[in-house]
Amino acid sequence: MPTVEVQNVTRVYEEKGMPPAQALRGVSLSVEKGEFMALAGPSGSGKTTLLNIIGGIDAATSGEVRVDGQALSGLSRAALADLRRDRIGFVFQAYNLVPVLTAAENAEYVLQLKGVPAAERRARVKDVFERMGLGRFLDSRPLKMSGGQQQRVAVARAIVADPAVVLADEPTANLDQRTGAELMDLMHGLNRERGTTFIFSSHDPMVLSRAQRVVRLVDGELERAEVRGP
Amino acid sequence: MNGTLLLGWRNIWRNRRRTLISMSAIGVGLFLVVFYSGIVGGLLGNAKNELDNAGMGHVEVFAKGYRPKRDVAATLAAFPERAALQLPADAELGTRVLARGLATSAHGSEAIQLNGVDFAAESLLSAHLRQVKQGALPVDGDGKGVLVGEELATRLNLKVGGKLRLMVQRADTEMGADLFRVRGVFHSIAPSIGQRQVYVSQAAARELLGLSAATHQAVIQLSDPVQADAVAARLKVTLGEGYEVLTWAELVPVLKRMEAFTDTVVFFLAMFVYLLVGLGVLNTMLMSVLERTREFGVLLALGTRPARIVRLVIAESFWIATLSVVVGAAAGALLTWHFSQSGFHITGGGESFQLEGATIGTLVKTRFNPWDVVRAASFVYVMALIVGIYPATRITRLQPAEALRRT
Ligand SMILES: Nc1ncnc2c1ncn2[C@@H]1O[C@H](COP(=O)(O)OP(=O)(O)O)[C@@H](O)[C@H]1O
Ligand SMILES: [Mg+2]
Repeated sequence: MPTVEVQNVTRVYEEKGMPPAQALRGVSLSVEKGEFMALAGPSGSGKTTLLNIIGGIDAATSGEVRVDGQALSGLSRAALADLRRDRIGFVFQAYNLVPVLTAAENAEYVLQLKGVPAAERRARVKDVFERMGLGRFLDSRPLKMSGGQQQRVAVARAIVADPAVVLADEPTANLDQRTGAELMDLMHGLNRERGTTFIFSSHDPMVLSRAQRVVRLVDGELERAEVRGP
Repeated sequence: MNGTLLLGWRNIWRNRRRTLISMSAIGVGLFLVVFYSGIVGGLLGNAKNELDNAGMGHVEVFAKGYRPKRDVAATLAAFPERAALQLPADAELGTRVLARGLATSAHGSEAIQLNGVDFAAESLLSAHLRQVKQGALPVDGDGKGVLVGEELATRLNLKVGGKLRLMVQRADTEMGADLFRVRGVFHSIAPSIGQRQVYVSQAAARELLGLSAATHQAVIQLSDPVQADAVAARLKVTLGEGYEVLTWAELVPVLKRMEAFTDTVVFFLAMFVYLLVGLGVLNTMLMSVLERTREFGVLLALGTRPARIVRLVIAESFWIATLSVVVGAAAGALLTWHFSQSGFHITGGGESFQLEGATIGTLVKTRFNPWDVVRAASFVYVMALIVGIYPATRITRLQPAEALRRT
């Protein structure tokens, strides 16, 4: 069973006073467990829309998405929230840490939603932070950290609850080349060590070169030819 | 601490100034409501005091036929002993022999109202008998002592120990007159009382009027004015025909109306204040929530259920409400309690004003009622709940992806 299965998904944005925008035009895609996959494509090609729909934070206009075999269409908002909590990790371009929580608390928040007891939460977060070289930032507030450090914490937050898949929308776009490369190495390491499935979007050749597989979106459609990486 | 409450607590301090302004608004509103209901309650809602100021009763009994023409021959001839009246244990009871007459000194004459009283009982009923400024109350068995008010003493140039001639129309329509000595001068907050009311012992009044063993008026003051109707109804049954039993609501209707008015005034004031404060805080909460739309989008993406987002925003208004209630209610309660002890004057001149026959003191002791505080505080919590829910639903209506797109 694929970890993520996208079947003929379309997404039409309808906004008042604007012509309807076809962001996805019948996308089908299958992602197996443990993949480290990139979604390539120019700006406006539908990468963010597709990741949002896979992650259950946006709804497809038609078509179906399954995560770990669970179909997303027809789920209530609360059920979708539970599915995200249990199976999906998000990393955003703009880090998006909660500023009033410390780095460790940001990661703990997800475990808290799952009802993990406080002591265990703390221990698990500490362990993950240390493995990711974030040990000294446990009690730092996000706004006191550099962009690269914040994005590492965001990755830690995304993986700490062992989701089925981590969805990272242009995770390096706000970072310089070197920091971006380091972040990719970190994510790739986690992918190999923990077997976490990653789907990330980018239009940066450096980032795409690290992917196992690259699928390309153009104008809301997947290109036939897929690139298989190392 | 519960994660939601902790997060709410940290969030309210992100914009410290805005939070403090919201809290001040609620706190001041709450303070105003608590303190104002204390003042209004103290001013208008205290019928016991107002009756006591004028020596009136919550229930008064006359012989049928006395009141229309103040006929001194219409007496409470066979008025029973207290034990037979079945009054509440803490009720105050006194009887008076009444007559209109003339007081004459070397200096002149003044029209007066003569009261033949039992001084011990009367000082519980009339506030001014507890305010003897010169001399003292006439003692038991003093058949020639008289107590007058400051105003009368001034007009007739009376001193303690001085002579005063009292003249009344007797029951047999002859004139009765006798010479008395001033034993004391009282102070009343109402000048009309100090000028007109004159007190002698019941025995002396009867002798002057040519009555054998009767009084004209029985006055009952109750600790709880609400009992008046029940007490009056019981008295009517006990006393039977021949008596007129009246409650304070019948004697001075204005006091009764004021009590009802008080509750209405306080209710509408509270509504008005809370509405204003509530709208202000709602607006602030809305701003504070909407400018964090993206952050709520992040929480939703991490797997937070929409209901938990609502709880998180309510947690923020809960904290704001709690801090405001602690400060506002404490300040309001403290000040109300303070003035319930010492009182303060509400108008410029004079110690009292007359309102449709009632003597209202201008020295207001606020009514400190812990329930007023509890009620006001509950209002604020309900309001906090409302101003939390609405902004939160503005967020949870959105798809998380849409919330994340907002800046
Ligand atoms: N909220 C929206 N309303 C209307 N059109 C949108 C909205 N979001 C995205 N689009 C349009 O959908 C298309 C795909 O956008 P997006 O998924 O953000 O692409 P990418 O992430 O590849 O840049 C674009 O043409 C964009 O203008
Ligand atoms: Mg995008």
